[in-house]
Amino acid sequence: MVAVFALPPFAFPDDSAALRGDIRAFLARHQPASEPAARANCWAVADPEFSRALGAAGFIGMTWPEAYGGRARSAMARYIILEELLAAGAPVGAHWIADRQTGPLLLRYGSEAQRRRWLPGMAAGEVFACIGLSEPGAGSDLAGVRSRAERVAGGWRLNGQKLWTSGAHHAQVMLALLRSEAGSERQAGLSQFLIPLDTPGITIRPVIDLVGNHDFNEVFFDDVIVPEDALVGVEGDGWRQVTAELAIERSGPERYLSSHALLAALIDSAPQDPAVVRVIGELVAELWTLRQMSMATAAKLAGGEDPVVEAAIVKDLGNSFEQRLPQAIQAVLAADLDGATPLLRCLARLLLVSPSFSLRGGTREVLRGIIARGMGLR
Amino acid sequence: MTAMRPDLERTASALFAGAPDWTAIAESGLPRLLVPEAAGGFGGDWGDAEAVLRLAGAAALAQPLAEAMLAARLLADAGVALPAGRVTIAIAQGRVTDGRFTGSAPAVPWGGASDAVLAAVGGELLLLPPGVATPGLSPAGEPRDRLDWQGAAVLAAGRASTSLGKSGVGDSAASEPDLLALAGWARAAQVAGALGAALDLAVDHVNTRVQFGKPLARQQAVQQQLAVLASEVAAAGMASAAAAAALDAGGDCRLALAAAKLRANLAIGRGVAIAHQVHGAIGFTRDYPLQLLTRRLMGWRSEFGSEGAWADRLGALAVARGSAGLWATITG
Repeated sequence: MVAVFALPPFAFPDDSAALRGDIRAFLARHQPASEPAARANCWAVADPEFSRALGAAGFIGMTWPEAYGGRARSAMARYIILEELLAAGAPVGAHWIADRQTGPLLLRYGSEAQRRRWLPGMAAGEVFACIGLSEPGAGSDLAGVRSRAERVAGGWRLNGQKLWTSGAHHAQVMLALLRSEAGSERQAGLSQFLIPLDTPGITIRPVIDLVGNHDFNEVFFDDVIVPEDALVGVEGDGWRQVTAELAIERSGPERYLSSHALLAALIDSAPQDPAVVRVIGELVAELWTLRQMSMATAAKLAGGEDPVVEAAIVKDLGNSFEQRLPQAIQAVLAADLDGATPLLRCLARLLLVSPSFSLRGGTREVLRGIIARGMGLR
Repeated sequence: MTAMRPDLERTASALFAGAPDWTAIAESGLPRLLVPEAAGGFGGDWGDAEAVLRLAGAAALAQPLAEAMLAARLLADAGVALPAGRVTIAIAQGRVTDGRFTGSAPAVPWGGASDAVLAAVGGELLLLPPGVATPGLSPAGEPRDRLDWQGAAVLAAGRASTSLGKSGVGDSAASEPDLLALAGWARAAQVAGALGAALDLAVDHVNTRVQFGKPLARQQAVQQQLAVLASEVAAAGMASAAAAAALDAGGDCRLALAAAKLRANLAIGRGVAIAHQVHGAIGFTRDYPLQLLTRRLMGWRSEFGSEGAWADRLGALAVARGSAGLWATITG
């Protein structure tokens, strides 16, 4: 048999109920917006105050060692916190990247000095990070990165442009993939750099999305000088480090809960129409299944393994579900999208933003290529 | 998972590969897999059953093993001795008067060939003698007989919910026919196996079939389609395995069982089309084994609850509990 997803179901231990109670109590004290549209796609919604409170309560960087401001909790304990925050529609966008990606990457590849400098602030919900990968000529084909870092006395000089950088206007620091070896091609000669965004020579310009939101930015580097220790990990090893970073981000609960606010609002409208009830049932079955798949994959990651194909499957199925959800609901609601009710405002917003769900963090086509390779095709 | 699972899977695989008749299935003891050892069974858990049913699905086993397994377990839970011969299951309608049942059940698997029938009637389970059979056939050519009973003596009776004991599929407030939920879950496990086998055939085919000067496997369009099929196989498999884990854990399993069958049904709709598309005309022939899987999958999709039937139920459950209650159920 082609075993593309042979993970056993995961069940949380009995003592996890206390942790779930803790985060639900926190959310009762720091209630997300009552407007469902503001709870939709909530991991792209930045609220620095909320992040600071969450950090103070110990729910950011909670798997990191205590020496760096973490709580030394398990990865699956963190999973509980994430899924509760996302299901509640909490505005977790400000710290999301630092917690999910930048912090773990520094723990894996960063120097002791880098960890001590950046991690405590991230865990406190006070230091936010963004990811500098995409460029005008490098999207799905990330090996096309051209922004460069040249060695100068005592450090590096950076030049180039990043694009589609989510949250750069909230973040204090960017983890960027740059070409550090002049004349290198494709995956070779790339390195990762941690760049404070208040460094002279950096310009951040908004790219407004189709609903008028400011999430994306373009970030320009003009003769930006950073010190020697801005380099993260091994010089020239950037491709391998980034690939590992992307695998971490693919299978989390944010890959199927981005539209949850709409499903919750529809359920709480107590619909009587049998067609609507039926759609809810179908969506619940997919939601339950995706959660099982995501947890099983997270448990394997937590065990130190690298379930690349399983993570790609979770993201592809999850994104398809998040995108199908608003359309399936629209198809059975007898109402125009006139913004007259909270439900309709949430629906309209998700219909418009959901196309991005299968783009961010690896496009559907890239993911399916990974799955196909996992089956030995190519 | 019990310690015997690896052995169990080897034994079942070897048995199913030989297209066994019912005598061979009965002699293997697999129908008593879910019966406690003290009651003469294997003492397997629901996860073991899921693994065996998945293999049965992959092998396109043409025997009512799932039905016999569930009947044996429910009878053991109710403390009723397992009748000799073949026992199947039925979702029936009718009434009991003075210990005699009058009613009918449509499309009973191997109904006419069975020695006894465990029937869900409303919230009750009745062990009935074989009724009068009107033959019917599934798309795969398996017996799906209508059974009629006219004042037939009820051999044993019990509440479905209590008879399920610690598996807890029912709760006392619910009148759900638990047998339907369990049978739907069993079909989901078979679907996961059969759809996985269809994926295997498809991968073999595209790796060997050359068109435009290269194997189909090197066409990106084909790769992307098979990635979708693999994802559907993964979803159906996780749904049936996670529902089995929920049964083994105890508690309220209604959402898990319903979701498993519904998700499996969705996977059939999305997956079978791809398996056939990448095969081209050869997959459409009687001689090629894909038909053994397709014909069963399409039949199973309707059996023990269509997408619509389970979606209505799950949707009603969600609306009744509200979004917070639903989330508590899902994460509980």
